[in-house]
Amino acid sequence: MLKQSGHAKELGSRPRKANFIVQVLQNRYIYLALAPGLALLLLFEWYPAISAFYNSFFLWNGGKLHSFVGWENYRYLMQDRAFIASLRNLTIFLVFRIIFQTLFPFLAAELIVNLKSERWTNWWKVIFVFPMVVPNILMYLIWRFIYNPQVGVLNKTLELFGLGDLGRAWLSDPVTALWALSFVRFPWLPTLQFLIILGGLQAISKEVIESAKLDGANWFARIRFIDLPMVRGQLILSMLLTAIFLTQRFDLFLVLTDGGPGYSTMVPALHLYQSAFNFLEFGYASAIGVIMFIIMLALTVLNLRLRKGDL
Amino acid sequence: MRLFKNLKHDWPFQIGLLFFGIITFYPLILVLITSVKTNTQFYQQFWLPTLPFHLSNYVVAFERVYRFILNSLFYSGTVIVGVAVLSSICGFVFARYQFPAKRFLFLLFISLIMVPGVLTLAPKFILIRDLKMLNQPLGLIIPWLSAGLVLSTWLMRSYFESLSQDLFDAAYIDGASDPQIFLWLAIPLARPMLATVAITSLIATWNDLIWPLVTISDRKWMPLAQGLVQFSSSFETDWGPLFAGYVIASVPLLIIFVFAMKQFISGLTSGAVKA
Repeated sequence: MLKQSGHAKELGSRPRKANFIVQVLQNRYIYLALAPGLALLLLFEWYPAISAFYNSFFLWNGGKLHSFVGWENYRYLMQDRAFIASLRNLTIFLVFRIIFQTLFPFLAAELIVNLKSERWTNWWKVIFVFPMVVPNILMYLIWRFIYNPQVGVLNKTLELFGLGDLGRAWLSDPVTALWALSFVRFPWLPTLQFLIILGGLQAISKEVIESAKLDGANWFARIRFIDLPMVRGQLILSMLLTAIFLTQRFDLFLVLTDGGPGYSTMVPALHLYQSAFNFLEFGYASAIGVIMFIIMLALTVLNLRLRKGDL
Repeated sequence: MRLFKNLKHDWPFQIGLLFFGIITFYPLILVLITSVKTNTQFYQQFWLPTLPFHLSNYVVAFERVYRFILNSLFYSGTVIVGVAVLSSICGFVFARYQFPAKRFLFLLFISLIMVPGVLTLAPKFILIRDLKMLNQPLGLIIPWLSAGLVLSTWLMRSYFESLSQDLFDAAYIDGASDPQIFLWLAIPLARPMLATVAITSLIATWNDLIWPLVTISDRKWMPLAQGLVQFSSSFETDWGPLFAGYVIASVPLLIIFVFAMKQFISGLTSGAVKA
């Protein structure tokens, strides 16, 4: 199956062994063109990835101390209180975030597709994509201010409604810390998920909706029996993407609580970071990385299958 | 006014959207309001704007953050150019040539999509340390470049594959060489996809906090995200200048957003492929 020109046309469709070297030489400019990109990937992506697997079997401080310990790192992981707490926290955080990062984009998208005014449809889309321009870290810092015990927006709002007694140091109270982090950016419409779901809803044909209206279906019936089944794929995709993104990102946790108080806001990625860079346990950090890789691989495979329409 | 034409039908939906809009934007507006207050004004009136506006907060803040913004513009700019050049070359080759070991080489590129950043974080640090690139711009730029290359090569390849073969045949018949065809035919055609690739790299590098935190400790080389964390701890309770700095930090992407909204949106959506 050849569709290109140039040297390539001179090749047979399947290179024979004997000709292999000749063909490689004939195509040397092609390999030369690929070389810079390939070299970068081999050195800066493949080598670290393989190194992570290899070093997960070592006790390693990043320097001279480098001794083989077999499965010891993994065995220790199973009884590491911080790691177990981190899995639990991540699960709670993910479940909550997946719900709100899918539900709100869906609600907003529902409202938008019901508008008659095309102008406003576009304007609202732009308005909700706009918060993108604020660097993520800035949103986290702003939310740190919202949770500030003395002058934070949250406590001030409670005071405004005469509920000042409920105010507390949201981020340093072990009872509320994880919930405070889960609520960061609430009720944010994450741009990507919002666009995916909106795209799905906008693709539903007008005729289907019109005929449902003629049959007397109200808005809620239409959501239940037309919209939800039609954008099911987009909703699942949006949930999976949220899970994949949030499992590996930990800057929110690092900046707002650093895993504390105690282990109450520890997540696996942050545990990895601290093991490596605070405690110089690079072998152990690699083992956490491998476990996370396996979890995310499962999610990614699910995502890819979904895109192919197998689900 | 055309904006109000359909209000009779739309008003319940508009109110719902307005509600979302207000909660989403309120923190940002509060930051804007507070950025022109002195601390006295801030403690007296938390919610509303107060006169006079103290624009001097912006001067104080600007001196502290402009360096980070310049750094980030330089890093992201370099990475964008690098990613665009390398990914268009590799994408073009994979899309339009047959050569031995093509499948294997492509797999070397594409399977990295499955490798999450956290897995390689620690080993990459060791690598950069051993290459003596810690605390240097190169220690940020090169890993960002290689990480960005994976998805963008895939995007560029799909784009070049979608172009019609007739175009290329015609150019060959006219006697164009391979590099000429790449430069004068393929690249101009791929401009929308290049814009998407550029925005994807921009967003990724602009928002990355962790990698700079690991590799850069010298204030002089900090990119914006890392600089902001520093900045926010040094202005702990000086709310006016602190928030003025936050506003300034959002300006660069705001400008780009205004001029390249469409590319922003498509760049974002294509990010969905990278898991």
